Amino acid sequence: MTPPTPVPAQWPERYGDELFSFARSRVSDADVAEELVQETFLSALDGLATFRAEASERTWLFVILRRKIIDHYRRQARATQVSLDELSEGGATEADFFAPANGHWTGPQAPASWLNADAALEQQELHDILQRCQQRLPPQQEAVFALRFIEELSAEEICQELGLSSANYWVIVHRAKLQLRRCLEKHGLGKN
Amino acid sequence: MLRIITCQNATLLLEKQADDALPTGARASLWLHLRYCPYCKRYARQTVLIAEWARSAAASRASSGAKLSAAAKERMRQRLSAAG
Repeated sequence: MTPPTPVPAQWPERYGDELFSFARSRVSDADVAEELVQETFLSALDGLATFRAEASERTWLFVILRRKIIDHYRRQARATQVSLDELSEGGATEADFFAPANGHWTGPQAPASWLNADAALEQQELHDILQRCQQRLPPQQEAVFALRFIEELSAEEICQELGLSSANYWVIVHRAKLQLRRCLEKHGLGKN
Repeated sequence: MLRIITCQNATLLLEKQADDALPTGARASLWLHLRYCPYCKRYARQTVLIAEWARSAAASRASSGAKLSAAAKERMRQRLSAAG
């Protein structure tokens, strides 16, 4: 049996909600999510000739959306690329966490115990706090964090996408994690 | 070679280690550091938790059932019809 030929005009009704829900899980701004879905449909229309009938139309659209999400983060990271030494972006550097003299945690920055982390906060609350903390990262760090830990791209793929050297990539990941850790702690974790 | 490393180095190595196996010397230095540094030991657990939570938070948001407005769907349908 030949699978039905895609009917682009029906895509928004058939797949719009599902794709939008996925896009909303990846980007916090609803308008951006909507735009990503629209771009997905338009790219799919352009590439209709490459659609393989044996793949599901839905899967194909999700593959395109995922690519759009990666592109979105690439644009975000590239638009805000600054030298790692620059503080003007407002992001913290290693010196905010470690004593320059000996490289050890400075007193107030030392990690507290999160012994009851799961019990201390409702899961939904934890997810909301983490999302807010992610949004507070400098844009480049937010993009790298999302690509690595949510889209699960490899370090090598991210360096290629964003035009980063491996050394810079690791500095960015490290700073993002340090700041997220501190932000989570400020908002309830570690207060057992 | 076993080297004494700082907390700054140790936490950076922890991030790298999550991605790929560390060279022997770095692995040994990190192991030694984590033996005596309770803070980096905490960091080691917490950084893994953060990655897990980020994934599970995105997955739970994806199934939250957010919906496109009827107006947005109609706009997209029109664009697709016009372009098609």
